[in-house]
Amino acid sequence: MSDAASTGAARTPGMLLGAAPHRTAVLEPPGLPRDPSMSPGPTTRYQGPALMPPMPPLGPLLLAIRMDEVTKVYPNGKHAVEDIDLVVPEGDFVFLVGPSGAGKSTLIKLLVCDEEATTGTLEVAGHDLGTIKRGEIPKLRRQIGIVFQDFRLLPRKTVRENVAFALEVTGANRKQTRTTVDRLLGLVGLTGQADQRPGQLSGGEMQRAAIARAMVHDPRLVIADEPTGNLDPLISWEIIQLLLRINEMGTTVLMATHNAEVVTALRKRVVALEAGRIVRDEVGGYHRDYA
Amino acid sequence: MLHLVTFSVRQALEGLWRNRVMSLAATVTMVMMLLLLSSLVIVLSGMQAGLSFVESKVEVRVELAEGVAQDRVDSLTAQLRSLPEVSDVIYVSKEQALADFTQQRIADGQPDLTDYIRNPFPNQMSVKLRDPRVSDQVMSVLDAERGPVVANVVEKQKDIDKLVSVTATLRTVGVAVLALVGLTVLLIVVNSIRMAVMSRSQEIEIMRLVGASDHFVRWPFIVEGLLVGLLGAAVTLTLLLLASGPISEVAKVIAGQVPVGFSQSLTFQVTSMVLIAGLGLGGVGAWISVRAYLRNAT
Repeated sequence: MSDAASTGAARTPGMLLGAAPHRTAVLEPPGLPRDPSMSPGPTTRYQGPALMPPMPPLGPLLLAIRMDEVTKVYPNGKHAVEDIDLVVPEGDFVFLVGPSGAGKSTLIKLLVCDEEATTGTLEVAGHDLGTIKRGEIPKLRRQIGIVFQDFRLLPRKTVRENVAFALEVTGANRKQTRTTVDRLLGLVGLTGQADQRPGQLSGGEMQRAAIARAMVHDPRLVIADEPTGNLDPLISWEIIQLLLRINEMGTTVLMATHNAEVVTALRKRVVALEAGRIVRDEVGGYHRDYA
Repeated sequence: MLHLVTFSVRQALEGLWRNRVMSLAATVTMVMMLLLLSSLVIVLSGMQAGLSFVESKVEVRVELAEGVAQDRVDSLTAQLRSLPEVSDVIYVSKEQALADFTQQRIADGQPDLTDYIRNPFPNQMSVKLRDPRVSDQVMSVLDAERGPVVANVVEKQKDIDKLVSVTATLRTVGVAVLALVGLTVLLIVVNSIRMAVMSRSQEIEIMRLVGASDHFVRWPFIVEGLLVGLLGAAVTLTLLLLASGPISEVAKVIAGQVPVGFSQSLTFQVTSMVLIAGLGLGGVGAWISVRAYLRNAT
């Protein structure tokens, strides 16, 4: 199988390179490994990018996510996440790892306003979720692209219609929708499959369609919840490559995953959850480095 | 805004078709309810018209005894005129009564038989009442004179009382039945829209995730409810239009000169009531359904 993601890139090189990162504070070159000696002790929290330059003079540091002592207790008394402190600057690529039931899904639900934190403050893309009004939630969600393990495409619609649907229901006009959808199908390499329905696609193609849909509002943050959970290793790599490309274009990516191979190979920032608490937050592999 | 409208209408039509059995059930019950509503309105307005027609004709007719002196008649007339519940008292001689009767028969196209009979009419007094239902004082005055002066009192009051009570009962029963049927229609619309919402739950979830505003989630379903109401109203009005000719004919035959049927104002009244009831029930039912669903799923 050819690398469809790069095929898509080759078709629209100007589009991709020309898409200027819309963030002002990309604080580290993406993909650049950090100095391991800067990684503090095992339980110390992440303290920002290692190559932190002096504070930019043009305003404050832009954060995609800021969580301060966030706790979520469900009505049944279960403490799903507890005392979470997490800061993700814009432009970061972060893996969220941990066993099932550790609180990854709850954390994601909190970030997209699907659940409300019991205590603590939570800011996403500049919105304080503690005081956000109901009518503002849709606007917040347009700044977050979400990708799931099970793709969640509408089976009756074609790939193009699935991607366009996200624009249609937020009031975009037809012309605008058409150009955006074409651009994104090019980005994820599905131009040729635009008129097929999800049932005719492979798992990797469905996930790429879902990623295209997540990108329609040009989000500041993409949250991927086990995006490779249903895919074989080769296809998983294609999806990871695509997410890395999106990250290079300036979008923050938070990816929850069990895929140890991918996490270890990429040497990105890893936030590990266990029993609702962050037990590790450092650049490294899926498992703790003892180097 | 325009985008929201076209989106909602498109989704609503799609939803109606996708859920067509339930949509049909909702529409049919809606038609039944609207037919009941409009026939109640038509019958009640007919009875009301009949009632006020009869009431306008109401009088107490006093048949005088043979050979009563004119001064006794004059004093009784003055006495009755002084009563506050009487608007007028008219004396009708037996010759006049016969002439009226003859004229009536000729107008009805029946043979004039007066040449062959002795005039059967007594001298009469026609007492017009201000309120046809209030005649106590008149009756007591007439009772006092019964015998030498007053031979007989013909009162139509009993008939009117009957008509009034029938109308009132019909109205009460009709409104109660209508309320029950209306509630049934509402519940069926709520259920039908709930099924539409359920069948589209996947779409709704995606809409929320990609940041669709509540309007885009809610309005397609409300429009769907409104369409059920509109469809029901349209079918009902068509049926009424087809039936209006025969109904008017029947009403004319039964009621004779009583003006029952489809007057312009009644037509307007029925049309607007059917439309408002249909759209209202459809819209409110859908709104209840969608609200309950959205509250459960944040």
